[in-house]
Amino acid sequence: MTTSTAGARPDEVRRHNRTAVLRRLHVGGPCTRAALATELGLNRSTIKALVDGLASIGLVVEKLPAQRSGAGRPSLLVLPQPHAAVVLAVDVRVEQVAIAMVGIGGEILGRHSWNLHGKARRPDEVLTHIVESSRLLADELSVDMVGVGVSVPGVVRRSDGLVHEAPNLHWTDVPLGDRLSAVFRLPVQVGNDAELGALAEHVRGAARTASDIVYISADVGVGGGVISDGAPLRGAGGYIGEIGHMVVRPDGRACYCGCQGCWETEVGEAALCRAMALPEGSPRGALVAELRSLASHPDSVAHRLGEFMDWLALGLVNVVNMLAPELVVLGDLFTALPAQVVERVSAIVRERSLVSRAVGGTRVVSSPLGRDAKLVGAAELAFEPILDNV
Amino acid sequence: MSEPILELRGINKSFGAVHVLHDVDFTVRAGEVTALVGDNGAGKSTLVKCIAGIHPTDSGEVLFDGRQVSIHGPKDAADLGIEVVYQDLALCDNLDIVQNMFLGRERGKAGVLDEADMEQAARRTLASLSVRTVKSVRTPVAALSGGQRQTVAIAKAVLWDSKVVLLDEPTAALGVAQTRQVLDLVRRLAEQGLGVVLISHNMNDVFEVADRIACLYLGRMAAELPTKDVSHSQVVELITAGRSGDLGIARPDMAAV
Repeated sequence: MTTSTAGARPDEVRRHNRTAVLRRLHVGGPCTRAALATELGLNRSTIKALVDGLASIGLVVEKLPAQRSGAGRPSLLVLPQPHAAVVLAVDVRVEQVAIAMVGIGGEILGRHSWNLHGKARRPDEVLTHIVESSRLLADELSVDMVGVGVSVPGVVRRSDGLVHEAPNLHWTDVPLGDRLSAVFRLPVQVGNDAELGALAEHVRGAARTASDIVYISADVGVGGGVISDGAPLRGAGGYIGEIGHMVVRPDGRACYCGCQGCWETEVGEAALCRAMALPEGSPRGALVAELRSLASHPDSVAHRLGEFMDWLALGLVNVVNMLAPELVVLGDLFTALPAQVVERVSAIVRERSLVSRAVGGTRVVSSPLGRDAKLVGAAELAFEPILDNV
Repeated sequence: MSEPILELRGINKSFGAVHVLHDVDFTVRAGEVTALVGDNGAGKSTLVKCIAGIHPTDSGEVLFDGRQVSIHGPKDAADLGIEVVYQDLALCDNLDIVQNMFLGRERGKAGVLDEADMEQAARRTLASLSVRTVKSVRTPVAALSGGQRQTVAIAKAVLWDSKVVLLDEPTAALGVAQTRQVLDLVRRLAEQGLGVVLISHNMNDVFEVADRIACLYLGRMAAELPTKDVSHSQVVELITAGRSGDLGIARPDMAAV
């Protein structure tokens, strides 16, 4: 990564190294100059020149570390400055939109969210609200945005941010990326929500040390993002990820996608509502409250969620057999499941999946980022071009 | 359907000759934001103060988690897990965030305060709400902005493991941008499974965060409806006239027939 190819021009090499340093600071947080040199395999004087360059444009500052370790002159600690490069992260959901200003290093500086119902779900309304709210937020925090990342629960063309279809939102062919970049005059990246969830887990969540992961999240629908060998798996046109529409029960409920018995109909929000005896379409918080209350009655978990657990495990065994991840991260609504459910499902997967046995036991864990995963992923998406170009 | 976390039935309250609340029924469900709206003097604040134990009720019953309870003072309410956040940013200016959050309920043994423990708990709570706008939990409250103060007041409710949080116009004293940050926090409180009651005069705020809308009209509960089933103008009609089409209080002449 940091070795130059023959014939690379010196300024290209320098730029490449600069991006590497910035990316390391953005992802891993503050770090000493000595550690940067070791990790990136660069010369100490190169590091100094790069860090000085970044410090001169205010992206980082250097400080003496508070604790001394070892003998000799301590190496200076390099700290990214969150306010120096701020992106707008937008997470469009079926029931809600959340926005956040995220500084370099991943710090959320300010945030806002609002509910969507009826007319407020139309693309024009959503766009206007995003623009108004983000300007207010930027003014209050007195920051300038340098990029925008948007997560959408639907099929998205990455090159220009066109939302082909977001079924649960009833959006078809919405030029979201183009319209936002016309208003903000900034680079705008739009991605599928599950893919961005996987990205977030890979960069800042449960999967930082893993290189083959599957992220599965339940909101109204169920979607999945795959990271294979450290890079996102996209499929033709980037349309991978409709894991929720894997058919698991041919005689099951009809799904809006045209199939019968999709996984989503057995493990999605509606299925959880049924399991908890809540009417379909109950507010998210009510469902979370019910799931949390199960924690105080561990005996009733098997009774209430037994069937749900079977379907969750069945789907996961399929996913693991197909994609061979070392780690499966359950996100969003799944994070409200009692810990024993996740443990039980994890055990079933290890027991039944041939691939899991072969890779030495696929782990199934609950996302530490919870509901923010897609927001964090959108921010990382927005940062990608910026880290390369500063 | 699960039991409501808090249910009020037939609450009456008079101040002398003034009958402020007439047979008010009101329910709060865990995980939902219930907006309490109404014109000035409709009895919103009185209702909240009755729940918080500041005013005793004249008649009616209160059920908490399905059990009948009697609330005789703020202490009873706090013991049940009911916390109130007021509009006037009621925190002590001279104390820092930790001291404010633990005010009157300090932790410690044998007369010595356990500052480290309290500081950690305060920091954990703010982190659990993804509040990152406060630099240090030892900042005196006087140095915080209105939005940050309200954040601290709300975080206090989470720290005490409350089940129900009542917010009496939490954004009345705030600017537009800060209001939005507080509303975002309100939303996340509900998503953690708390029952949240939000009093607000701002219809936009109500439609942005509330799952249900309860409308008081001259001391009577005109309607309690899911937000997605009503429009802006219907709610305004309920507030100003107590009825809108088939919703709300029946006309006196209709009731007489």
